[in-house]
Amino acid sequence: MTTTSTEEQLSRSARAGAAGGGGRTGRRGPRRPPGLPWILPALVLSVGLIYYAIGYTGYISTLNWDGISPDPQSVGTGNYTRIFDDPVFWEAVRHTVVFFVVTFVIQTILGLVFAVLMHAQIKLAALYKVIIFIPVVLAPAIMAPVFRHMFAPDGELNSVLQHIGLGSLAQPWIGQTSTALPVIMFITIWEWTGITFVLYYAAMTQIEPSILEAARMDGAGNFRTLVSIIWPEMRGTTVALGILGAIGALKTFDVPYLVTIGGPNYATEFLGTYIYRQTIPLSHVGYGAALSIILLVVALIVAVILQLAGRDREAGN
Amino acid sequence: MFEIRTRAGRVVLQVVATILIVPFLFPLVVMIKGAFAGEGVKNFTAVLQVPGFPRFFLNSLIIAVVVIALVYAVTMMAAFGFAKLHLRFREVYFWLLLACLTLPEVVLLAPLFATDTRLGLYDTYWAVILPLAALQVPFAVLLTRNFINGLPDELFEAARVDGANSLQGFRHLVIPLTRPIAAAVIIFTLVAAWNDYLFPLVFLQSPDLQTITLVPQFFVGEFSNDQTKILASAVITAIPEIVAYLSLQRLFERGLSAGAIK
Repeated sequence: MTTTSTEEQLSRSARAGAAGGGGRTGRRGPRRPPGLPWILPALVLSVGLIYYAIGYTGYISTLNWDGISPDPQSVGTGNYTRIFDDPVFWEAVRHTVVFFVVTFVIQTILGLVFAVLMHAQIKLAALYKVIIFIPVVLAPAIMAPVFRHMFAPDGELNSVLQHIGLGSLAQPWIGQTSTALPVIMFITIWEWTGITFVLYYAAMTQIEPSILEAARMDGAGNFRTLVSIIWPEMRGTTVALGILGAIGALKTFDVPYLVTIGGPNYATEFLGTYIYRQTIPLSHVGYGAALSIILLVVALIVAVILQLAGRDREAGN
Repeated sequence: MFEIRTRAGRVVLQVVATILIVPFLFPLVVMIKGAFAGEGVKNFTAVLQVPGFPRFFLNSLIIAVVVIALVYAVTMMAAFGFAKLHLRFREVYFWLLLACLTLPEVVLLAPLFATDTRLGLYDTYWAVILPLAALQVPFAVLLTRNFINGLPDELFEAARVDGANSLQGFRHLVIPLTRPIAAAVIIFTLVAAWNDYLFPLVFLQSPDLQTITLVPQFFVGEFSNDQTKILASAVITAIPEIVAYLSLQRLFERGLSAGAIK
């Protein structure tokens, strides 16, 4: 990663933007031409479509509707009160939390370790980088049959375990409740570690060499430098990855839907797959809409909390 | 950055790296090995001979190209407006847009399905293109606005003093100067559009319109349960993505790190 002045400016202005405001409006200079016509197309396309859809979802969420019948009956907040008594909803919430914590921690550790290894001039680093990053670009939908095949009772994983004398560990990975969620987490980690790695790798390149030099002069070893200097310096990256991971966990759909269909026995049900199940196959469109609104509110709250937490830490630093 | 002085130390790191890489390599090996199992290369020819198979690629291509063009156009304009033009309630508009970043796709299914059927958009490319573009724009604007903020104001003021209007400023300053970030935007959008599964699944019904992410299911039907053919089709659909990544590797990584700095 090259450090050009543009990139530095970019990151500086980006940080200023994250720290609230970010507007450098009309502080000086002649009056600027109007900007509204310029932002209008994006607002119409994005804000227009999305807020329209959210508003519509809000309306549907007050109905008992199968998606087809011409005059659905209104149930007020009935769908919402039902959600809180719905054990599958709480299961899905629990899976999302566990899923986020586990995948985030493991990805952070793996991404960090890979970034350190690649900076330590190991051999074949270029090849290893490609192998870690390829999963990021492959569509989960394309890889799903591969994972179903790999984790099948007579699949490749069990056959490898048998070959290396660990046949007793062979099990129906996606067919039993105890291992289905870990399989989904494995696939997600497989898919996203490339991003964590690339970001940490880039963040490490941005650290001032003079700081590292000073640490070395003071007799700090590699490990000490990593823990006391490099890791704290990269806090911004870690916070950004935390936000991405949390939002990503709430959005999870493709992998559990395609690999385990949310099963067995709801063991891999997430909010995304549950909304889909309610809305499309079960035609409980009103209930699915109420779930959608709750998911949306949770996602917004989580994003705001993490954003504020990240900002406080940076300010306190 | 890290100096490993002893030979033993270097060997240990190499071994650690190799052990950690195995789980990442394994699914790819499973995919390729499975695709060549049984009838070997014949699996691939069988898949390629299925009528309509190229159609999936063409559809994905059409959708990706239109989404990219749409996102690029509205993003560049909006980022310019947010960063360098006069705008009341600037941050209100911006946060309205940013809030969309948290939106899960699945939330859009019911309302868009109802609206699309009413407007006759259901089962057309637009039913997928519009929501995909709408979901990509907020992040693209965030990236590009930050980038344009970093360009000196003097540049735009000088152009204005010389009599250039906003449109000329956009054409002669914004478009050429934003190339690095535009590359990142295009790549993000490409990956998102190409890999999207849910919108094509719900909004595209006729096989003539379906995208490559629906290929595995198509082949589950086509070859009942012949795993080797399904894996061969997965390999064939993965190849363009891997080739694109390998040839644009630097852009991918640079775009990503630009995107991380929020």
